[in-house]
Amino acid sequence: MPLRLYRGDLLLIAVLLLPLAIAAPRLGGPPGEAAALLGWVGRVGGILGLAMLLVTAALSIRLPGFDRWFGGLDRLWWLHRLLGFGAFILIMLHVLALGLARVPAGLEVAVLTLFPPLSQLALWSGWLAWLAMVIFLAPTFQFFGRLDYQRWKRLHLLSAAALLLALGHALPLAGETWPWWLLGALGMAAMVWRKLLSPSLARHPYRVESVAPLARGVVEIALRPEGRGLRYRPGQFVYLTPLDESLTAGRGEEHPYTIASAPDDPLLRLGIKDLGDASHALQTVSVGSRAMLEGPYGDFFAVDYAQRDALWLGGGIGITPFVSAARGMAAEDEGRHAQLFYLANGPDRAYYLDELTRCAEDVERLTVTAHFYREQGPLSEAFLRHHCPDYVDREIYLCGPPGMISHLRDLLAAQGVPALRIHCEVFDFL
Amino acid sequence: MNKIAYSAFIAFLASIGTLVSVQALSSDEADDSSEARDITLDELAEHASAESCWKAIHGGVYDITDYIPDHPTEEEVILEWCGRESSEAWDNKRPGRPHSPAAERQLEDYRIGRLVDDQGEPLERAEAAEPPSQAEDQPMEQEAADTAPSPAEDLRLHRAMLGQPMDGHYRGVFTDRGEIQVNITFDLRDGHLTEVNFRHLAYRGVDYLTLEEDEDLYPVMVQHRRITEWLEGEPLTSIFALYEPERVVEEVDGFSGATLRGAKVISAMRDGLNRGVYSWP
Repeated sequence: MPLRLYRGDLLLIAVLLLPLAIAAPRLGGPPGEAAALLGWVGRVGGILGLAMLLVTAALSIRLPGFDRWFGGLDRLWWLHRLLGFGAFILIMLHVLALGLARVPAGLEVAVLTLFPPLSQLALWSGWLAWLAMVIFLAPTFQFFGRLDYQRWKRLHLLSAAALLLALGHALPLAGETWPWWLLGALGMAAMVWRKLLSPSLARHPYRVESVAPLARGVVEIALRPEGRGLRYRPGQFVYLTPLDESLTAGRGEEHPYTIASAPDDPLLRLGIKDLGDASHALQTVSVGSRAMLEGPYGDFFAVDYAQRDALWLGGGIGITPFVSAARGMAAEDEGRHAQLFYLANGPDRAYYLDELTRCAEDVERLTVTAHFYREQGPLSEAFLRHHCPDYVDREIYLCGPPGMISHLRDLLAAQGVPALRIHCEVFDFL
Repeated sequence: MNKIAYSAFIAFLASIGTLVSVQALSSDEADDSSEARDITLDELAEHASAESCWKAIHGGVYDITDYIPDHPTEEEVILEWCGRESSEAWDNKRPGRPHSPAAERQLEDYRIGRLVDDQGEPLERAEAAEPPSQAEDQPMEQEAADTAPSPAEDLRLHRAMLGQPMDGHYRGVFTDRGEIQVNITFDLRDGHLTEVNFRHLAYRGVDYLTLEEDEDLYPVMVQHRRITEWLEGEPLTSIFALYEPERVVEEVDGFSGATLRGAKVISAMRDGLNRGVYSWP
């Protein structure tokens, strides 16, 4: 992730530092003496770690629009993961530092500090919170390999227990409790919304209007809203929960798919590639069946990016956000120019290419260039420069499989394109 | 991130594991050495010189011969306690101030066994304690002369804050059936009794203190004098031994048949403590 600061980040930093700021007069600066310094590190680590844990929980809210404060849902998940990681590390630092700080008083005292009599519930509540974290984070950070996505998701619910146990640890022991009540309420509210309320309140009912095969293992599903449809922009995505009872897998499960239709299309179209059990089953979803949509999320073509001419590089199912944008361009009279490079293995895998070419014929400011790996090898700088001489000065958007993204990033970096001008939809996030 | 999280997790487990196991192992060692030997007061007394200096402190016996050259105070101060029960000196590095926890840990390195009586039963400090030396008392007097001791130094304040009776001169009485039976006076110095005397001792109109040698109740008076002699130099807590006077005074037959009991002496002394310091020594 390039280091770009979004407005949500500032809010995040402020909330993260709030408990520390409140406790600062009591804590003072780091003391010089070793044991006292360890104690100080332990306390600061605990305060910051718990703040991170609670803010991480709050970030799981997945409110449409809210993610754009943080540069889109994929970046929000990245922040969620980063803060969760930070919390885990800091909480262990907290335990270790506080234990070691008591070593000068005797090993027995140090061990007793960490493992007091069971009657000290607050302290043991902290240990249980840590244990819960280990259990639900072990598959997240792949301590012992990967877990199936749905089981991982269920296990991740243990974070609610960790949250409550951590609060049970901190509230009786903390010097100032109101910041913890505040952050705890934010975290719990996010979880309650996400797990209990949003499934019934935030999902919009749609019906499958058509399922059009684009290539082997790729379909475009068109959905008609039962009520008022979602309002979205090109490059955004939705969580789709199919309810079709004939599905062999993934019925009632939500998965993210990028929108391929133009914002003014009465139907919402999703380009879906067979990448797993759920997306495989969707290839044959019944026309007329019901599906719930939650979103839209993401901020791929963010309006606050510089509005210079754009270079689009799409590959595989990563072509969908560009399809949505190209379809949308026909409705707009003016705007910046865009040149799309469609990186496909071969003509048989270049789905949407015909339609994209037609769009380019209709819309003067859109150019489409196809590049076939099987014939031309990896995209070269010469190819790029030949078809788009001013590409280094353009705002660049990448979407596609990880191998393609890393190749393009290296290529662009070698030409001195600043990282801040490259925007990327990460396709392997959850 | 995954690798760091996993490494940190393992490092955390390892650190906590190390801390716990080192603690478990080192406390085992300490137990072993403390149970190493049973040492009697007689054996202890044989090591009363700079060549071999053993000291009993709070039930443990320590061979500090090698440490004597390193001790910060003059050698005589530390040598004086060789071969003896030395908890008193240990707890009063300066009057009322024990040695530091650091010194306590250091002391453990010199542990060679535990102090036992002739029957092999562990001896606690009170049973083996000896009165404090005059040499140790002197610094306290100097300190008392300070006009305004700081709260960190003021031993009287420390005792008062801990609810311990302050050093000073005390007077107390035991009355029953409208008659003063026991009137006792004593001094407390550093928590120990000195100058214990009866000012009045009577029962049913008989003034024991005026009895002649040939009178029937005279032995009872003698037994009470033995009580005061026995209390001399003892820690204040030893007054409760008088609940069983036979521990203190021989020829109990005469005593137990008499009309005055140890309990009355305890009562009178506690009365004195309740009244507080009568005058400062």
